[in-house]
Amino acid sequence: MDFDFTSDQVMLRNTVREYLTDKCTSQFVRSMFDDQAGYSKAMWKEMADNGWLGLTFPEDNGGLGLGQVELSMILEEMGRAVLPSPYFASVVLAGAAIADAGDKAQKDKYLGGIGSGELIATMGWLEDATSWGPGAINLKAESGGGGFVLNGLKRFVPFAHVADVAIVAARTSSKPDGITLFAVDMKSQGVATTPVTNMDLTSKAAEVSFSNVRVPEENVIGDVDGGWPVLKRLLDKAAVSAAAEMLGASRKSMEMSVDYAKVRETFGQPIGTFQAIKHMAADMLVEVESSHGAVYYASWAQAAGAPDASLAASVAKAYVGDASRKVCGDSIQLHGGIGFTWEFDLHLYFKRAKYYEPMFGDADYHREQALRTLEAETK
Amino acid sequence: MDLSFTQEDIAFRARVRKWFEENLPKDELKSLDERVAWHRKLYAAGYVGMGWPKEYGGQDARPMEQAIVQDEMARVNAPSTVNGLGLSIVGPTIIHHGTPEQKSRFLRKIMNAEEIWCQLFSEPNAGSDLAALKCRADDKGDHWEINGQKVWTSGGFIADWGILLARTDQNVPKHQGISFFLINMRQPGIDVRPLKQITGGSEFCEVFFTKSRVEKDHLIGKLNQGWQIAQTTLGFERGAGTLNRVTTYLMSLRRLVDVCRSLKVNGHTAIEDAAVRQKIGRAYVELEVMRYAGLRILSRLEKGQRPGPESSIAKLYYSEYDKRYHHWVMEILGPYGNLLEGTPAAYAEETGSGASGRHGVWGVDFLQSFGPTIYAGSSQIQKNIIGERVLGLPKEVRTDRIEIAKQKGG
Ligand SMILES: Cc1cc2nc3c(=O)[nH]c(=O)nc-3n(C[C@H](O)[C@H](O)[C@H](O)COP(=O)(O)OP(=O)(O)OC[C@H]3O[C@@H](n4cnc5c(N)ncnc54)[C@H](O)[C@@H]3O)c2cc1C
Repeated sequence: MDFDFTSDQVMLRNTVREYLTDKCTSQFVRSMFDDQAGYSKAMWKEMADNGWLGLTFPEDNGGLGLGQVELSMILEEMGRAVLPSPYFASVVLAGAAIADAGDKAQKDKYLGGIGSGELIATMGWLEDATSWGPGAINLKAESGGGGFVLNGLKRFVPFAHVADVAIVAARTSSKPDGITLFAVDMKSQGVATTPVTNMDLTSKAAEVSFSNVRVPEENVIGDVDGGWPVLKRLLDKAAVSAAAEMLGASRKSMEMSVDYAKVRETFGQPIGTFQAIKHMAADMLVEVESSHGAVYYASWAQAAGAPDASLAASVAKAYVGDASRKVCGDSIQLHGGIGFTWEFDLHLYFKRAKYYEPMFGDADYHREQALRTLEAETK
Repeated sequence: MDLSFTQEDIAFRARVRKWFEENLPKDELKSLDERVAWHRKLYAAGYVGMGWPKEYGGQDARPMEQAIVQDEMARVNAPSTVNGLGLSIVGPTIIHHGTPEQKSRFLRKIMNAEEIWCQLFSEPNAGSDLAALKCRADDKGDHWEINGQKVWTSGGFIADWGILLARTDQNVPKHQGISFFLINMRQPGIDVRPLKQITGGSEFCEVFFTKSRVEKDHLIGKLNQGWQIAQTTLGFERGAGTLNRVTTYLMSLRRLVDVCRSLKVNGHTAIEDAAVRQKIGRAYVELEVMRYAGLRILSRLEKGQRPGPESSIAKLYYSEYDKRYHHWVMEILGPYGNLLEGTPAAYAEETGSGASGRHGVWGVDFLQSFGPTIYAGSSQIQKNIIGERVLGLPKEVRTDRIEIAKQKGG
C-alpha cells in the first residue's frame, strides 16, 4: 500500500507546473476570453512536444502509454492554471474513446495526429436532456449507402468550433442502450456548429447539428449498437478527470485564501487570527485533502482496473463537485469585496470548477450510482 | 502509487477472518469477567497489542496488519478488547518514557487485562484548556499526595490504575508546572462517581482525590515535564483504527438500506424515495472518502512515517461525519428514530452479531455521536490546530499567553 506519487510522477507534475506557471499566466488566460479559437496554437504544439497530448495513448501510436494517475496529475495542474485548451475534448474524451474501442486502422489514423497536436478531436454525447443514461441519446443514425446517415443535435460539445473530428454517440436501435459511436469529420456536409458561451469563458463549446450527414461504415468506433458500454467507461474516466481539474482549482483557491488571511488586516490584526476565518480555512484544507484522496484513489482504481473503479469514480465526482464549489466559493467570501471583482483571479477558479460540476453527472447522479453499488451488495 | 493490498496482507486477512469465524462468542458478553476472558483469547491469538515490541509481549506487527485485524473485527461486530486506553495510550507512553522497572511492572498486566486503565486528565475547569488544571500533587518525602478533582473519566469505575496529570509547581506558567503520574485507583481517598450520560448509560465518571497516594517511582519522565509527555501521549493516534471505523459504518449503512426496504414513506418504501436515496448516497460517498483518507494514513505509517496533518484532518472528518450520518438516519426513520424500546425488528439497527445478539436502536448511536466532536480535541480545537500549525495562520491573541509573556519579562 503506497499512497504517495513515485519520483517519476512528481517530476512530471513539477515540469507541468513550471511550464504552466511560466506560460499560462492570468494575463494569458484572460486574453483567451474573446479569442476566437480560445487556445494558443504555439502552446498546443509545445504541449504535444512534451508528450502531454499522447500521455495515455499506446506507445505504438506515438503515445507515452501512461495511465489515469499521471493524466489526473496533469489535469490537476491545468485546473490550477485554468488552462484554456481543447485538452479535455481532444485527449481525455475523444482520444480515450478511440484508444479504448477503435480498431487498428482507426488508432493509426487518429491517435498519432491527436498526440502530435495536428488533429483536434472532440466528443458529442449530450443532447436536450441533462440526464446521463443511454436514454438521453436520440441523435438518429440510419444505415444506408455503405454507411450511416446522421440526423439530430448535440449540445455542449467542447471546443467543437476548432475540432477536425468528433466522436458522436448516436441511436442505432430502439433498444434502451442501442447506441453506436461514430467518428465524424467535422467538415462533412450537413455539420453546423453554433458557439455557446459558458460561465467559464475559457471552456469554449458549441452546439453541433447534423443534417443528413453521411458517415462511412469504417468510421464506426467499436460495434454497431455496442457504444453504450464504451461510453459508460469513458464517462467514468471523464468523471475522475473532471474531478482532478476541480481539485486543482480548489487547491489553488485555498492557497490564495490562506496567503491573504495572513496579510489582510482588520481591527488591528491579520484576519487569519480570527477563528471565523481560521476555521473556514481549516475546513477548506479538509475538503481539499479529502478531494485529493478521492481523485487519486479513483485514478489508481481506473489504471489498475480495480473492481471498485466505477464506484470510486462516482465517489470522486460527487464529493469533489460539492467540495470544490464550497472551497472556491468560501475563498470569494474570505477575500471580501476584492473576491467579487472581475480583475481578481478567484472567479476563474470558481468558474472552472463550476463548469465541471454538472458535466459527466452531477453529485446527485453519482450519489445515486454509488447507492446502487451498495444496494447490490446487500441484495 | 499502488493502492492494492500485498499478497502477504491478503493471506493474513484470510487467516484472521477464519479465526474470527471460528472463535466469535455466540452469546452477548455480559460481565466484566466475560469481557476479560474474550480479551485474553484475542491476546492468545496474537490480536491484542500487536504493534508493541516483542519484548513486551507484542508482535512487532506492521500497521497494516493491525488495521486488518481491527477491520475484520468490525466486519463481524466482534466485542472489542477491554483495556482500550491501556493498550492504545498508556502502554505506548510507558514504552517511550517509562523506566525499566515501570516497564516490567506494568506492561504485561496491561496486555493481558489484569489491570484496567483510565485517563485522569480533564477537570471541571480544564478541558480544552487542559493546562489550566488544578488537581495537585505534593511531595511528602516518600510519596506524592494527590488532592483535587477530575471529571469525564471514561471507564473510571472499572479502572485499577489511571494516568494522572497533576500540578507539582504552583509558581510557574501553567504549562510548566504539571507532572505525569501513574495512580492506583484501588486505594482509600479515591471516590469514583459515575455520571449519567445523554444516552442514559454511565461510561464516564467524576473522580475525587483526598490525600490519595502516588508512589515516588510512579512519576513518568521528569518532574514538571508532564505537559510535553501528555502531548506525545495524545499523539499516539489510532492510525490503525481508520479501517475499522469505516467498516463499522459500512455495516450500519448496509443495515440502513435493508431497513429502508421495509420502512414506508409517502406510500412507497423508503428505498424508492428520491430524498432518502440522496441521503444514503451521500453518506456512502463520504464514507468512501473516509476510507481513502484512512488508506493514505496507513500508507504513511507503513513507511515508518508518523502521520502529520492527516491525523487532525482525519479526526475532524470522522467525528463530524458521525454526527451528520446519524442525523440523516434519524431523518429517514422519523418517529422510529426516537424509540429506545419497541422498535419493530425490521426497523431496528442490527448491532446483533453472535456476540451481542441484540437488536439495537439507532437513537442511541445518534446520541452517542455528540461525543467525538467534544473529546480528544473538540472540532473547534482541531480547526485551531489545522489553521495555526498546518496552514501557518497567525495565533489568536490569548490572555493566558499575555500573562506568560508578562511573567517571563519579569
Ligand atoms: C464521551 C466523553 C468521554 C471523555 N473521556 C475522557 C477521559 O476518559 N478522560 C479525560 O481526561 N477526559 C475525557 N473527556 C473530556 C474531554 O476531553 C473534554 O470534554 C474536552 O477536552 C472538552 O473540554 P470541556 O468539556 O471542558 O469543554 P470546554 O473546553 O469548556 O469547551 C466548551 C466549548 O468551547 C469550545 N472551545 C474551547 N476552547 C476553545 C478555543 N480556544 N477556541 C474555540 N473554541 C473553544 C469547545 O470546542 C467547546 O465547544 C471525555 C469527554 C466526553 C464527551
